[in-house]
Amino acid sequence: MRRLLPLAPALLFLAGFFVLPMLDIVGRSITAADGSLTLARYALLFGDAFYLRAMAETLALSAGVTLLCVLAGYPVAYYLVRHAGRWRGVILFTLVAPLLTSIIMRTFGWQVLFARRGPVNLLLEGLGLVEAPIRFTGSLGIAIAALVHVLLPFMVLSITPVLQSIDRRLEEAAAILGAGRFRAFLEVTLPLSWEGILTGCILVFMVANGSFVTLLLLGGGLQTLPLLIYQQFNTTRDFGMVSAMSTVLLLLALACLALQLRLVRKGG
Amino acid sequence: MALWTRRGLAGATAALGLSALPHRPARAQGKSITVTALGGIWEEAVRTCFAQPYEKATGNRAQVLIGSPTQWLAQIEANPARPPIDALVTIPDLAIAAVQKGLVERFTVEKTPNLVHTPEEFIAPLDGHGVLFDYGVAGFTFHKGRVKQPPKSFAEFVERTAKGEWQASLPGIGYAVTPIMLIWAMAKALGGGVDNVDPFFEAVRKMGRNVSFWNSPNDFENALASGDADIGIYFDGRTWAWSDSGASFAGFLNPSEGGSINAIAIQKPKNASEEAWPYLDIMLSAEAQLAFAKKLNYGVTNRLVVYPPGLAERITPWQQAAFPPYAEIAAKRAAWVDRWNREIRR
Repeated sequence: MRRLLPLAPALLFLAGFFVLPMLDIVGRSITAADGSLTLARYALLFGDAFYLRAMAETLALSAGVTLLCVLAGYPVAYYLVRHAGRWRGVILFTLVAPLLTSIIMRTFGWQVLFARRGPVNLLLEGLGLVEAPIRFTGSLGIAIAALVHVLLPFMVLSITPVLQSIDRRLEEAAAILGAGRFRAFLEVTLPLSWEGILTGCILVFMVANGSFVTLLLLGGGLQTLPLLIYQQFNTTRDFGMVSAMSTVLLLLALACLALQLRLVRKGG
Repeated sequence: MALWTRRGLAGATAALGLSALPHRPARAQGKSITVTALGGIWEEAVRTCFAQPYEKATGNRAQVLIGSPTQWLAQIEANPARPPIDALVTIPDLAIAAVQKGLVERFTVEKTPNLVHTPEEFIAPLDGHGVLFDYGVAGFTFHKGRVKQPPKSFAEFVERTAKGEWQASLPGIGYAVTPIMLIWAMAKALGGGVDNVDPFFEAVRKMGRNVSFWNSPNDFENALASGDADIGIYFDGRTWAWSDSGASFAGFLNPSEGGSINAIAIQKPKNASEEAWPYLDIMLSAEAQLAFAKKLNYGVTNRLVVYPPGLAERITPWQQAAFPPYAEIAAKRAAWVDRWNREIRR
């Protein structure tokens, strides 16, 4: 008990500013207008095709963005650890620099760059590659690209320290035993960096799961739970439904954490 | 270490207390109220047009709280016995919600003498539990270089957008007043109304991919400036303010059917300080409202206000705009949002 004492301030803070508000949200989600208990909102969420589709779109978007972040982030992390040398600091700064700007400004930047009469379209037209401007904004592709841009640093920064800790002699041993560079990477390096990939995936998945500014401003034709929560709060003020959707989002995040713990334990 | 003896500490505390003494009577003289303002130029206008005259007239202090009407109403709902806000600015839908929940007080001529100069049209929607004190009209904001002949009516706007004459940008469902400024206004202009918004949904279907949606005012201005949109539905006051700040390419036109009036209401929460009444009265006065209109380019509701040349041409008289049935729209809002989500899906 005495050993837990130093944790008390943090635990109290979390209890007051996280656990209690969360319990309040759960309570609101199961309280009807007349004060009685109800599960009607959850029945609607899990029984109406529209809301099921919104949940599926939320998960699919998060999974897609996570996958793209792994595919784009792993080579960057690998290059940083193995080949960047004295450029390492510069690359790291370039990677993290976008996080120093407000997400709203960054999203407006995407809007300006990819506008119908924006620099990208003007360049494509100038090079004769397209006859009419391409409608980038409002498309799913641009929304995903913007999300990957925001979340890529989380993936790279999760993988880099794990790659750094891998003993290079293991790869050399694989080479001595006849494995080519690709096979050595596939059978030695990649499995050993699994924990970093997993941590990055969980981080990116959870942040993507709750992100809404990018989708709100860039469109993408998706109706995810965070967008619906914002809409219900701002437009209809149906706090009961807002709370139910928030609880479902929270459960998704908790499920992700549980999965991470399980996989890490399995890996360990 | 000897400095921090109990006696030393007591002496320091006493010294601090004594040094504060001369200020005490000054603090006790004036009371403090909390008033609200939207961000940006709104905040500046509230400070100079309302808060400063109030402080000068009463000796009280008006603390300006920046935020959004949704947040303020939630704060009042959370603590109705001791509301953290004394004078509230809000949108009509939320003002109606506050009235229905019994959270706000009735305005009277005794408490706010300037109420007599406000037309009944701006008092009745809230049944006297608040007043609509300023308004903007949602019409066509367009890029003068790219749209040489702007549409004169909603019907013409829909037809020409459907033909692909331009890329249009309309308020999206994430924006709080879209049910008023777009769904109801367009439905009404196209032959429907609060009980029949089919014409609006039909029009959006017809315009297809030639229309996109904005979810914040900056979003729309960015789209028009960057060339992502050529025309859209937006507010007159914001357009003129934007134009004055350098976007001289932006023009505004009130549709022939009349764009919707998007008013801002003022309310006093129950159990809030009585010192808020003089502040609210200043907000209703002709002098303060004219100063406010000059800063924001929005129309105001005190009938004694005479706009100077230049401003008069910019402000759409409320008689030439469409007055929304706010309470009826509020009752349909959730159903319209649900239909939008299922049919428009953008």
